[in-house]
This record gives sequence, C-alpha cells and structure tokens, in this order.
Amino acid sequence: MIRDIVICAVQFIILVFCQVFILDNIYFLGFINPMLYVWFIIMLPFATPKWLVLVSSFVLGVCIDVFSADIGINACVCVLIGFIRPALLNAFSGNIDNVTFQRPSVSSLGLKNYLPYMALTVFIHHLLYFLIENFSFDEILTTLLRIVLSSVVTIILILLSDMIFFKKNE
Amino acid sequence: MNNLIRFLRRYYYVFLFLVLEGLSIYFITLNDSKQSSSIISAANNISGTFNNTIENINSYFYLKSKNDALVKENLQLRQQISSSYVKLINNIHEESDTVYKQRFSFIDARVISKTVNKRNNYFMLDKGSLSGVEPDMGVIAPNGVVGTVVKTTENFSLVMSVLHQDSKLNVRNERTKTTGTLIWNGHTYSTGQIVDMPSSIALKKGDTVVTSGFSRDIPEGIMIGTVKDFTKESGTGFYKVNVKFSVDYNKLEYVYVIKNFFKTEQDKLMENIKELQEEQQ
Repeated sequence: MIRDIVICAVQFIILVFCQVFILDNIYFLGFINPMLYVWFIIMLPFATPKWLVLVSSFVLGVCIDVFSADIGINACVCVLIGFIRPALLNAFSGNIDNVTFQRPSVSSLGLKNYLPYMALTVFIHHLLYFLIENFSFDEILTTLLRIVLSSVVTIILILLSDMIFFKKNE
Repeated sequence: MNNLIRFLRRYYYVFLFLVLEGLSIYFITLNDSKQSSSIISAANNISGTFNNTIENINSYFYLKSKNDALVKENLQLRQQISSSYVKLINNIHEESDTVYKQRFSFIDARVISKTVNKRNNYFMLDKGSLSGVEPDMGVIAPNGVVGTVVKTTENFSLVMSVLHQDSKLNVRNERTKTTGTLIWNGHTYSTGQIVDMPSSIALKKGDTVVTSGFSRDIPEGIMIGTVKDFTKESGTGFYKVNVKFSVDYNKLEYVYVIKNFFKTEQDKLMENIKELQEEQQ
C-alpha cells in the first residue's frame, strides 16, 4: 500500500513536470496543446476512495495552474473529471475487484474497455478546458478544432505511455 | 438525526466536489480582478522561482544564437550613436539641453517562461516591482513588440502577449501611413491580423507595419512585422490583413519593459475627456 502511494506521488511529480516544462512548450500546427497530466487521474488505482480521487485531482489541477497564467481553470476541470471518474470506470470496467491496488490500464482492462474510458475522460477534460479558456462563442469552430486535435494527440500519448510503462511492471 | 448522518455519509462526496469546484471557480474569478490578490502573487512567486531555475539551465543551449542576435543589435545601435554621424549643420541643436525631455526609459528583463500554443498566451519576466516594473507597461523585444505587463510581484512580472484574445494594438502601415488594429486569431504564433485598416489606400505585400504610438504604453515606430497577404472585406471599406510577426515569440529571450514618464499626465487628460463626455450626456 505504501509502495503504491509512493509510486503515485512519483508519477504525480513526473507528470506535472512533463506537462509544465515540456508539453506546454511544444508548438505544433498552432492548435495542439496535449495535456498528458490527465493520465494521473485516469490511472489512479481502482480502490482509491472517492474523496481521495477528488482531493488529488484538485491538488493536481492547482499544481498545473500555478505554472500557467490563468489560475483555476485546470483545477476546475480536474475536479470535475475526478467527480465523474467512478461513474465512467463503473460503466466500462464491469466487474473488477474493487479492493485491489490494480490500476486502470490496457493490460488490466483490455483495450476494448480502457480506450473508451480513457478517451471519454480526456475528451470531456479538453472540451471543458478549452471552452473555459476561450470563454466566448466567437471562434467556436477554431475552439472545436483545437479540442478535437488536442484530445486525439493526448489520447495517443497516453496509449503510448501506457504501453511503455505498464508492460515493464508485469 | 440518524437519517441526516446517513445522508451526509452517502453524499459527502458530492459536497466535497461542490466545495472544491467552488474554490476553483473562485480562483478563476481572481484572474479578472485588476489588483493582484495574494493567492495569485503566491502562485506567480512559486512558478517564477521554478521557471528561473529551468531557464538558467536552458539558456546554455542557446548561447550562440543569442550572441548573434546581440551582435546584430549592437550593430544597429552603433549606427545610431552620434559618433557615427558627421554634423552637417552646426547651429541647430547647439543649446538643446532643454529641447529634449526624456519620455521613455527601458528596463531590461529576461523571459523565464512562455507559451505560444494556447489561445491566451503569457510571458513571465524575471524582473518585478522591485526593479520598477508596473502593470500596463509595454514590453518590446529588440526586433518588435511583445505585449503589456498585466501583473507584477516583487521579483517577477506577467506579460500579456500580443498572442492573446484581449490584445488590441493600434498599428500603422509605414508606407501608406494608414492605421489599423492588430489582433490575433489564435491560429499560428507567427501571424497576426490587422482589422479596421481603410482599403481606400492600396496595400502591398511586404509593407512594414509598426506601432502607431497612439497607445500610451508603447512608443511610436516599433516594428510589428510585414504584410503577408490581405483581402478586402466586402461592404465595409476595410482590409483584413495577415501580418508576419518580426519577433519569433517561441524563441524570445531578452526583452525591454518600457516606462513612460508622461503616463500620469496623459492618463489625467484622458480622465478629463471622460468627464466631459459624462457631462454632455
């Protein structure tokens, strides 16, 4: 259990670091701003209590916010993602034993279940994030393009990292 | 009572969600307030310290290109200093100590964090109120306009880039002298848009666009970029122009913050105008 907490903490730090100092500085076609840090909420162990999911989502959002100019947007969206995570997991995971410290991943859920769960979470996150960031319907088409392209890139990044890091553990 | 406890136990999770969400939304509202709140200052201080460290390491990788840029700027400045000129007419600026009064002074600063891939982009500088940086000051790079300071802490300041949906800058076509407003549509960081430029005077590709000086924060004649392409908007009498920025905002390193000595005087005048308008209504 303590081992799991330590692993989560390390992942937290690495993801925040990656997001703030690498991914936020990448410029590609002008529309793409992948947000890999959502992966942290997606891959919290199944057995994490609901309140802990909410609190850690909030802390994650605040940490990312501290490094971006508009404070609060990431926290707001992350808390919402943390709130709907149990429902999404239930919908797609079926009968996974809730006492284990297993994490949602391709190997534990299977691509068929993991992909829709992860993709839906990422899409909701990006949708809300970019809508709040823009806060106007003037450029709604551009915003939608931004949402779709960024979501696709984030989903691919999460799938790749999942395959790289979770293979080793088994 | 029992029921209440059971209810709370069952839905504590929803309450926690509402509390955290409320807190986040409160943070978001802080962004809009003019005076920096202590929460935002604290956040800027933390990120400033981190960004400074990372940037210190990063900057070693760009020493060569930075040197080249500095040499180029030195060359430009050297061409402007008086020793490069021969005095042709002797009796014009002889006793001119009182003719010129300094209007702008510059504070040099280093960019320690930046984004160009968001809809609303900001830069963070390593100078703050202790070095004399104040909100609403203009910021320029050696080869063009960068943005406006929006928030300062003691050691850091946050600059709203021209790559921001609220950024509106009055600009002028250097050749035709027609003015327009520079905005950014959020697509690529190398191109900005000018609206409200009258189509009565023909534009040309490659025309130089500079600041008009109507803004109190940025001096006249600072480079913006060159005209990339333009279309006439039917029925309005205005051009819609795409401008290629002269600054590569993704590689920005050193900038100058501009202090306008006449700002309070100009502000006072503008207040008078507002009062006049209110009286007329």
